[in-house]
Amino acid sequence: MRAELVKGRLRAWSRRQLYSFFSSLGTLLGHRLATTMTVLVLGIAMVLPLGLYLAVNNLSGLDLQQDEWGAITVFLHNDVGEKGAAELARMIDDRPDASVETVSPQQGIDEFRQASGFGQVLDLFDENPLPWVLLVTPRPQDNEELGMIVVTLDGWLQTQDAVDVVQVDHKWLQRLSGLLDLGEAFVKVLSVMFSLAVFVVVANTIRLDVANRSEEIQVLSLVGAGDSFIRQPFLYSGFWYGLLGALFALVLLGISVLYLQQPLEDLLDAYGSSPDFKDLGFVHAALVLLGGGVLGLLGAWVSVQRYLRQLKVSGMLGRM
Amino acid sequence: MITFEHVSKRYPGGASALLDVNFHIDAGELVFLTGHSGAGKSTLLRLILMLEQSTGGQVVVNGRNLSKTSPRLTPQVRRQIGMIFQDHKLLSDKTVFDNVSLPLMIAGMRYSDIRKRVRAVLDKVGLQSKEKMWPSMLSGGEQQRVGVARAIVGMPPVLLADEPTGNLDPQLSKELFSLFRQLNGQGVTVLIASHDLTLIRSMGQRVLVLSAGRLIDDIPAVISRGGAR
Repeated sequence: MRAELVKGRLRAWSRRQLYSFFSSLGTLLGHRLATTMTVLVLGIAMVLPLGLYLAVNNLSGLDLQQDEWGAITVFLHNDVGEKGAAELARMIDDRPDASVETVSPQQGIDEFRQASGFGQVLDLFDENPLPWVLLVTPRPQDNEELGMIVVTLDGWLQTQDAVDVVQVDHKWLQRLSGLLDLGEAFVKVLSVMFSLAVFVVVANTIRLDVANRSEEIQVLSLVGAGDSFIRQPFLYSGFWYGLLGALFALVLLGISVLYLQQPLEDLLDAYGSSPDFKDLGFVHAALVLLGGGVLGLLGAWVSVQRYLRQLKVSGMLGRM
Repeated sequence: MITFEHVSKRYPGGASALLDVNFHIDAGELVFLTGHSGAGKSTLLRLILMLEQSTGGQVVVNGRNLSKTSPRLTPQVRRQIGMIFQDHKLLSDKTVFDNVSLPLMIAGMRYSDIRKRVRAVLDKVGLQSKEKMWPSMLSGGEQQRVGVARAIVGMPPVLLADEPTGNLDPQLSKELFSLFRQLNGQGVTVLIASHDLTLIRSMGQRVLVLSAGRLIDDIPAVISRGGAR
């Protein structure tokens, strides 16, 4: 008996939900222009943090641990010959945190000829002006910071007699990594701000919606509708706004990616990273849609609650 | 079905809308409530609908003491009452069908049942062919009948009407009143606020007369109920 009653109530509840669901859709479709405008605003608000997220996410995909990135170039004094260079190379190789490659003056000059196209300039020299060069690659152990090892190695190399100049190719790497960290933080800040914007836009839209329909609310209340029945269509509207806004943001993002994908892949390629563009992916896209919907729902909820209370205080709905 | 015991209603400004009103309406009665405008007719109906709360005395509707009823239960109280308004209070952006079906939607009835009930009620008020129309496409009399259909579709035990004939010509008014009598014949308790004295007299029903917030007369129904026909 009791179970029957509960079941009946549940059924009545779900029918009311269904009614609110279609009623809210009907309202949105009934005001196509206003709905479209709201959805556009929401979509644009959401696409900004999403786009930045995508950009940062792809750039941080650069393989920052690659060997050549942490390379230290050690130029030896001109009077150090092959023997001295080999000796120093062995010492470096003995260290646990580095490996080394030796470049003879001849190798250097060949490489220069090939790479620069200024090979003829070299013919002006009577003898090879290049010194012996050691390419030192830091080998970070499990958790060690690459930067720390580079600093240690740099310091140690400076003290070697054979060493003329140590060139650390690392500063800009730190800068890029710093920029990416900043970008990530920026994405977070933007996400919070634009989520707030979505919330406010939906809340304001729903507020206007409720104000426009205060007469309808009054009638509903007079024929026995409870708070939840009155509230429901507006909550659904808020959800739809958020969801459609998120959907539009994804579409905008998709279009932007079509334009940006090639240049970005070229850039990644130039840095020797895997040139696969990482898009949002299904899960993240679904999360964006859900997040938009939930934000819209929250905005609508706050707005409706406030306005219903106002109507009650004004006595329009009687004792409720 | 409706009982007022020493009911007073005073507004914060100090004006009294109702003063020590006492009456009892049995289930199945049809009663008119009359008096000049400002006599307190609307206030009395508003108390029954829980749109307002009495400042003194007790209002009991369908066994429930409204003065002691939590505002949370207002929707439940209103679902037991069919209310007809002078200005119809129809939703202009909903069809006749959707307007009439509102109380059933609120009750969460199955859609196929709603369709049957709404069609039956529209048939009863003579609007069966207009269910897909919008209220603005209907005449004043037809709109009023949509309001009546909405009030009775949920089969409430109590029917209230506030100046239902206010905007109707005499012929339509008569038709509406005979519809009320028909519903009353099916056991619905009906309370009609109206200042249309000629029409009220011709009906030969019990009449409550309000003046300046006091109940000054309670005229019983003429014995031969069929007299007006």
